[in-house]
Amino acid sequence: MIFRAVEDADVIRQAARGSVEAYNLLVSRWEKRVYNYLLRLTANREDALDLTQDVFLKAYQNLRKLDDPGRFAPWLYRIAHNEAYSMFRKRRPEADGDEIEPESTGTGITVGGSSVFPIELSLAVAGALERLSPDQREAVVLKIYQGFKFEEMAEILACPVSTVKSRLYTALELLKTELAPIKARGVS
Amino acid sequence: MSCSPFDLRDYFLQELPDPQQRLVEAHVKTCQPCREELDRLHFTEAALCSLRDEEIPQRIAFVSDKIFEPSPWRRWWNGFWGSAARLGFASAVMLSAAIVVYALRPVQPLPHLAAPPQIVQTISDSDIQARVDAAVTKAVAEVEARETAKTQHLVADLDSARQRMVWAASTYEIAEKRLSRVRLTASGYGLPPDADAREPK
Repeated sequence: MIFRAVEDADVIRQAARGSVEAYNLLVSRWEKRVYNYLLRLTANREDALDLTQDVFLKAYQNLRKLDDPGRFAPWLYRIAHNEAYSMFRKRRPEADGDEIEPESTGTGITVGGSSVFPIELSLAVAGALERLSPDQREAVVLKIYQGFKFEEMAEILACPVSTVKSRLYTALELLKTELAPIKARGVS
Repeated sequence: MSCSPFDLRDYFLQELPDPQQRLVEAHVKTCQPCREELDRLHFTEAALCSLRDEEIPQRIAFVSDKIFEPSPWRRWWNGFWGSAARLGFASAVMLSAAIVVYALRPVQPLPHLAAPPQIVQTISDSDIQARVDAAVTKAVAEVEARETAKTQHLVADLDSARQRMVWAASTYEIAEKRLSRVRLTASGYGLPPDADAREPK
């Protein structure tokens, strides 16, 4: 992990000096994570892909402004967050930031039967995630799927750590309640 | 409500410092409700992780176009000004170099210049008063000299005027005497005094 971080820092320095090859290497390391983050925010593959391309283009244009290569990940996700919410606002200009909701994917289902198969569990989780507010969902995505620390999440979301924790813990409570019946039935 | 010494969710998310993490770990081993709560959190996390990451449908790559690429000099210049740390270091180096050059610079004496005059000296109140008095005395003397010169000039003018008046009076007196003599002479010849008076002298 540390070795990878050092490598990333070197690649970032080379890319900041104008090396496109180095930047492509950096993109190849981060594109899947950024794409999945945006996919869980937007619930739309095309939007997620378009936004991922925009994010990496914007990151390349502004890479010289990144003073500390060690802060690349939160910096990149901050760009991704801004791009996603910018798209939401363009789609619904009359809505406030807090009211912005991504389009529904229609994957949320009620799980029935005595046992739950992995695919059913995934669908149940997708549905439970979809029922969270956008802020709560993003907190879960950043913490559980992307593994950021609270301070990094606060940097990405541009809000205090206390707000991040509040959103995340509320979301975890809701998810626990939603997914408890599945646990009671047992996962095959 | 958890009875854990620290927030069980912070422990679960590994956001506690190591000592606190160990304290909660020890507590959970002996506390059934906290262990069950932790199990629920673990299950929720496991369920969330069942949602696998997708592969990106299309790889992203940037193409280097030499036409639009800035020159190496330009890249270096942008990089130089774009990095505050590098700019700060360069400024520090320049400042250090300037200090070193100044310190090592040979000091040449200036032979044609005499020792600098002692400008700073103690001036007491009495000195100041003496200087003021001298200046006042000098000014008064100058004014008096100017007034004296003016008075002498006026007196000279007055004398000159007085002499002219004396001369005019004596001239008038001579003329009067002559006129009287002419009248007497004219009366001796039986002429009217005015006829002789009209004759030119």
